[in-house]
Amino acid sequence: MGEFEVHRVRFFALVPAGVRCLACLPRAARLALARTDGAVEVYNFAANYFQEKVIPGHEARSVEALCWAAGERLFGAGLSGEIIEYDLAGLRMSRCVDGGGGPIWSMAANSSGTQLAIGCEDGSVKLFQVVPGGIQFERNLDRRKGRILCLSWHPSDTHIAAGSIDVLRVLDVCSGQTVKRIMVNYHVQKVKRECIVWSIAFLSNGTVVTSDSFGRVQFWDWERGTLQESHTVSTSAALSLAVSEKEDSIIVGTSSGATYQFQLLPVKMGSLEKRWVRTKPFQHHTHDVRAVAHSSTALISGGLDAQLVIRPLMEKMQKKGYDAVLRKFTFPHRRLVSCARKARLLLFQFSQHLELWRLGSTEETGKDGQVLPLCRMPEHLLQLKSKGPEHIYCSCVSPCGSWVAYSTASRFHLYQVQYEGNSISVKKV
Amino acid sequence: MPVPGGSRRAAGHHGAGAAVPAGKMVAPGALRVVRCGGSPRHGARAVFSNDSKYLLCASGDFVKMYSLATEETLRLLGGHGGLVTGVQLNPHNCMQLYSSSLDGSIKLWDFMDGIPIKTFTVGHKLLALYALASSEDSVFVVVPKSSERDTFQLVSVKLTKAAGQDLEAKELSVVLDSVDASPKCIAFGRAGEYVASVKEVNLQVYFFKQKQLNRFSVSAVKAKSGNNHFTCVACHPKEDCIATGHADGKIRLWRNFYHRKEYTFSTLHWHHDTVMDLAFSVEGTSLLSGGVESVLVLWRNESDYQKDFLPRLGSAIEYISMSPDGAFCCTLHTDNRITIINSNLRFSKSIQGLIKSMDIKTGLVVDPRTKALVLNGEPGHLQFYSLQSDQQLFSLDIVQRQYIHQAGLKQVDLVKVAFSAQGKWLATVEEREEVTDPELQLKLWFYDEETQSFKLNTRINTPHEDHITGMCFRDMDESEDDSLLLVTAGRDCVFKVWVMVEDTDPEAQQSVSWSCDFVGSYHNYQATNCCFSEDGSLLAVSFEETVTVWDSVTWDLKCTFCHPPGKIRNICFGRLTCSKYLIGATDYGFLCCWNLLNCALEWSAHLNILVLQPDPLSEYIAAVSWLSKESSLFVFKPNEPRPIYIQRNLCKEKIQLAAFVPRDEPEMISAEKYLWLRRSQLFFLTDTQELMTLSTKSLEERLTPASKQLAVEEGLLVTPFSLLFGRHRRQQSQEDLGKLAVHNKHWQDSPAVKELLHTPAHVLPSASFLCPIFINSLLISKENKSAEEVSDEVEMESENTEDDSDEERDAAEMEQEDTNPMELLGETICKLSKSQDKELRKIRKMDYSWISAF
Repeated sequence: MGEFEVHRVRFFALVPAGVRCLACLPRAARLALARTDGAVEVYNFAANYFQEKVIPGHEARSVEALCWAAGERLFGAGLSGEIIEYDLAGLRMSRCVDGGGGPIWSMAANSSGTQLAIGCEDGSVKLFQVVPGGIQFERNLDRRKGRILCLSWHPSDTHIAAGSIDVLRVLDVCSGQTVKRIMVNYHVQKVKRECIVWSIAFLSNGTVVTSDSFGRVQFWDWERGTLQESHTVSTSAALSLAVSEKEDSIIVGTSSGATYQFQLLPVKMGSLEKRWVRTKPFQHHTHDVRAVAHSSTALISGGLDAQLVIRPLMEKMQKKGYDAVLRKFTFPHRRLVSCARKARLLLFQFSQHLELWRLGSTEETGKDGQVLPLCRMPEHLLQLKSKGPEHIYCSCVSPCGSWVAYSTASRFHLYQVQYEGNSISVKKV
Repeated sequence: MPVPGGSRRAAGHHGAGAAVPAGKMVAPGALRVVRCGGSPRHGARAVFSNDSKYLLCASGDFVKMYSLATEETLRLLGGHGGLVTGVQLNPHNCMQLYSSSLDGSIKLWDFMDGIPIKTFTVGHKLLALYALASSEDSVFVVVPKSSERDTFQLVSVKLTKAAGQDLEAKELSVVLDSVDASPKCIAFGRAGEYVASVKEVNLQVYFFKQKQLNRFSVSAVKAKSGNNHFTCVACHPKEDCIATGHADGKIRLWRNFYHRKEYTFSTLHWHHDTVMDLAFSVEGTSLLSGGVESVLVLWRNESDYQKDFLPRLGSAIEYISMSPDGAFCCTLHTDNRITIINSNLRFSKSIQGLIKSMDIKTGLVVDPRTKALVLNGEPGHLQFYSLQSDQQLFSLDIVQRQYIHQAGLKQVDLVKVAFSAQGKWLATVEEREEVTDPELQLKLWFYDEETQSFKLNTRINTPHEDHITGMCFRDMDESEDDSLLLVTAGRDCVFKVWVMVEDTDPEAQQSVSWSCDFVGSYHNYQATNCCFSEDGSLLAVSFEETVTVWDSVTWDLKCTFCHPPGKIRNICFGRLTCSKYLIGATDYGFLCCWNLLNCALEWSAHLNILVLQPDPLSEYIAAVSWLSKESSLFVFKPNEPRPIYIQRNLCKEKIQLAAFVPRDEPEMISAEKYLWLRRSQLFFLTDTQELMTLSTKSLEERLTPASKQLAVEEGLLVTPFSLLFGRHRRQQSQEDLGKLAVHNKHWQDSPAVKELLHTPAHVLPSASFLCPIFINSLLISKENKSAEEVSDEVEMESENTEDDSDEERDAAEMEQEDTNPMELLGETICKLSKSQDKELRKIRKMDYSWISAF
């Protein structure tokens, strides 16, 4: 091995985008993840949680909800009010349909993947038919005041549960009517604060599970409109929940960064009576856990701290220790830094701009591990803003440092950089 | 029937056991060492009787039964030859109780009558006992494994149904191996279907029906949160849920534990230190936990966010138990206190005897007012312990600072206590244990008659530069305040004399305060002890190897005594006829007696004396020596070098403190050998904080049958009732002794009153029921009498004033009242209206012929 000069590059101020939502592809080991900057990533569990695909974000389109439908088609919806279908082969948006109800807060596909329901700002729930080559507006369901923050289909596709502020509703898909309206805050005395139902899940036995801003996870019998169980998991909000496919386990993410598992356990040995019990708490995140997903072998959570944590369920695993199977995605998996070796330049890629830096240099040599004094500080040479609302997908700098290239989903740009003493000029090619 | 004083003592100390010195047959009349309080060492969780009226609690070698209504010790079930390690109600008969002991036997009791029904000899040390409703004729015990040391197993013992009292129970079958010795580490689950046992980091669950054993473990030591060893376990009464407490303060709730792999647990965490015990409520909806924080935590619905606290319980919680109806919960504490807590988590009652404190620095002091033993109690408190009732009279907060439970934190503690002769003044010294600069405070408390408690009068910061080693009041029986002096001896080589001075500050609320009057020293030696002679004229202060005697008026050094080598450990003056002697004990094992008149050594003996205690009411002095792991007692008179009484091998423990407690009435002791016990009783405190005394009574006399213990002897307890009647009686006897003699007799003889006074409060019917009976009993006697006396008087009166106006008659009656104010009957008549008066008179006239017949 030769001698190396190690640069401590502490001037790359990348702010990673937090995880906004997660969607597990049922019966296939794929996970779609949307970040707060609108980027969508797809992970393949079978291939060792490899980040297969990245669709760069778009300034105008944030993604509030993701879902898989009709096989392996991925749909996203956001506050722009549009439903977007992603082209997973071309890594770009393929189609875009306006929802027609203002910003979309939530979206869910039915179990067969033929219909999409969206929850809008204006309080309406709209159904879309998934057709080959796009989606088609089908009908409007009963509209009430208050934005629909979360949606869940009953596994039999006959009803939809929708969570709003202070209230949850159950809608009949056939008639389009609200068949039950439950005030989640009714029994809490003297509380003037509004209670936001952040997340909802409809179980096949008719139980509706909600997590709300009071930190409660509540189990409702929707037909009678009664509260079955209430568990306070946090003093802050419980933001997200996900149910396992067998409906015997629930994961809840809270704004304190902790996630909790609930399990449906028999009260007595051999008896049929079962009860939801809060079992394990996990504290992997430092900020709000906005999205959780439940695969058959793991609890998956993503938070505003931009981490994706895959926490396997030990009892379902056959081997290995706990640490060996716990996975955390803290760093971006793509190359965001490119280096011009000869010119001693670094190109940093941000979502909307590029930065070109000259590395510092020293004239001294020292022993291993010794910190050398710099004779020239690192220098910020250039900031290049990208045009248009699309985010930069990739970028590169030539070894001589005179060419800089970047591309978005639709366009490719090449620039020539000229150094004249202390001044630098950029020419678009 | 012994004399009242003696019988009272027997009843008062029925909480005591009879420990006979080993290897010695006790001849009748010999002195016996009797344990009479302190150090009960609760070996197991307490048990409530089925109706939640009584609490049964293992206490040393006994099982104590307390009444929850009155907190009294009702019964003492004795008979085990070792520490009782388990008490359990018989699940098939709720009036019976099983108890197990280290002596290897299980006893079945009828606890309501205090009768041992059966004794099953198992033959191993029994460390814990569990009785289940589901197992018909067997109980579970923890026994040591015979082959290996320090390993224990849970076995079920078949209790044979044969006739006879003493039975062998040898049919053992092992249920679980390698269990922990603590009774808290095993719990039986819902309806006895499974048993859970914890040890170190392992949890074992054994299912009886399936014969399946599941083992779970938590990961061993984690660096950041300390060790997470299991400390206790409890099972949900209705569901399959096991709660375990851990050394790092966490509580884990295990579920689904019949699957070896898919088990799961959740965690509750509030305690910062070891969880000492756990208990589920009767329905299992809430969980109680306690630990060293002395806070009882109630967890509702197994939720981390719904918990309630009952803080400031005094000391660490050792065991928690629930009553079968869920109305009460009971916590046993490390300082021997028992606390009863309501179901709504409100403090209800506290049953406390001698509180075990960390370290008794104050010594045993007798409060002259209450005759209670006074010593360190809770941290920073002074406890007043009543020897008669085995109860704490009250606890005086001396330090008046919040005690913080934290290891290694130096707390202010009480180190010295002294009472003035009448108990009017109390002096206390508190210090913070600092090596370089001790923080000292001397406080003087005045007994306030109105509030019946001590009130702080003077606080002196840093009375000495270094630790205070001795403190005494000038013990004069006259209550003149100007003769009252306090002397403190310190390690800073001086002794100081404190006197009361008039408070000149007009804003001060009190008229007197204390200040320093004289500082004495001797060759710059550390002062170690001080004491006054009986008449208060001489003060003896020991300075390391030398005893100095000072005149207490002029503060002149009169003479010095020395018995090299060895520093002076204890000094005291002789009393009464022996007041010319000064006794001292030295480090090198000498007991010396100096004559103060000729300043010469009278005699000396080679003894390693730890405790030197003069009897305040007689010439006798008790000395306790410690030699080759046994304590011996010597009682002597200073004028004779030969001891009057020697008891070798008093007990195996080191005796740290002793005190003579004056008897209320001198006991009748015939043997000359024990005359020294006539006026006072001698109490010892061992280093395990066990209180012992010496008794001349034989075992049979002391352990009166339980039925007799319940009935209170005549004129015995100083209750408000007896005080009332006592005073009443005295007054009347002064007024007209002859007249009312019959009357009194009648009161005493009345079965209703007798019953009322002699029935313990907790079994009495309601007052509304008793009241008519009581009144009636009084009325009958009065009517008889009023007929006798009043008619006499009224007859005279009526002769005189028959024709007079009403006003005049009233005046006459007033007169009568003035002349005979204590005459109850006059008062009653005064209150009668005129019409009633006339009627009464008519009746009396009718009765006149009957009266004259007498």
